[in-house]
Amino acid sequence: MKIKVRYFGQLTEFTGKSEEIITQDFKTLEGLKLFLFDRYPKLKEVHFKMAQDNSIESESSELKGTLIDLLPPFSGG
Amino acid sequence: MEERYQRHFQLKEVGKKGQQKLSKAKVLVVGAGGLGCPALQYLTAAGIGTLGIMDPDVVSLSNLQRQILYNEKDLGKNKAKCAEKYLKALNNEIHFQSFPFALTHENALNYLSQFDIIVDGTDNFYSRYLISDACLLLQKVMVYGAVFKYEGQVSVFHYQNGPSYRCLFPSPPELGEIPSCSEIGVLGIVPGIIGMYQALEVLKIVLELGEVFNGKLYCINLLNHQTQILDFKKNKEEISKIKKQDRVFPIANKDCSLDFEVSLAQLSSEEKIIWIDVREEGEMPRLSHLKPLTSALALDSIKDSEEKVIAFCQTGQRSKAFIQKLKKEGIKNCFSLKEGAEQLQIWEKKAKY
Repeated sequence: MKIKVRYFGQLTEFTGKSEEIITQDFKTLEGLKLFLFDRYPKLKEVHFKMAQDNSIESESSELKGTLIDLLPPFSGG
Repeated sequence: MEERYQRHFQLKEVGKKGQQKLSKAKVLVVGAGGLGCPALQYLTAAGIGTLGIMDPDVVSLSNLQRQILYNEKDLGKNKAKCAEKYLKALNNEIHFQSFPFALTHENALNYLSQFDIIVDGTDNFYSRYLISDACLLLQKVMVYGAVFKYEGQVSVFHYQNGPSYRCLFPSPPELGEIPSCSEIGVLGIVPGIIGMYQALEVLKIVLELGEVFNGKLYCINLLNHQTQILDFKKNKEEISKIKKQDRVFPIANKDCSLDFEVSLAQLSSEEKIIWIDVREEGEMPRLSHLKPLTSALALDSIKDSEEKVIAFCQTGQRSKAFIQKLKKEGIKNCFSLKEGAEQLQIWEKKAKY
């Protein structure tokens, strides 16, 4: 399955990109997360939330969407 | 009143009724910095009846790049006080309350309870979690805004029993995990735009207009104009955890030094203070009349002292490192002065006369 993954905030610096297409099947959001941890080990160091088709969900959720966002909290003001 | 809000009256969704709602609203803006300044300016112009401004910091030159309520004459003065003065000139019909000190887990419930809507204009996770938890307990609406470089986030929490900040991010990041604006820089207009979004949400909530970001996280990238609105749900477990505590606690991994930094604006000249000068011998001004201890001798002299101990240097950096060391030695009631020796000298002279 083709998934578009978008990175926000500091995560764009850890991945070197703001989005990418990943063609692979994952059962859960966590499955995709572990795949991304392998590819970008620095992601392991920070908190972030995952959204699937514009809805923030827990990592145990089944991955059925085609658009995944990785969102870290911001503190700047 | 008639003429000032004419443009509001012309909007049938607002009208005189809406203006009355605005004039009855009580809004507290915590943090009068990059986010708080533009929010305060528009809330004042719009005629919010009671407007609280809370900020412990003093205006510094590097603030003027984005904190639009201040000018060069305000340097060294408390932000909440300066903001109030500026905003009064804009709209004298508003009841302003300025609080020139920090929101802490000890005073949060007291101050937040006096307002209907709290705008989070802070720049650290300690304050954000504190505001969220206190607002949850007090059932106050929190209008959240935060920035990272060219990106911003906006959301509204506890609106009509909606989700909380903790439903979005249950636990705070580790110390230093997410850099702040002071570490990585920010284009001044980015918090400006996000702060205005926060003011917009406040007005919509008061006027019961349109849709607010309730259970929605608005993400905007101001470099490429991409925006997303992401839904998130209430996390009952997180909410009941906070409700059970029935009071607010500081988050474990404080990313800011609120607990050991103190600003001159927070000090009273009558308070008994033991000063520690952590600078080298030749650094000016000397401030010998304060009879400061030197860092080498400090530890022994203050071990059993009950008085407040404050360390200072030229910029607040070395004193911070020094106080961190004292804290590790188990010394309580010790703080690092945010300002430098020069400002301390000015403060001391003013306090005397």
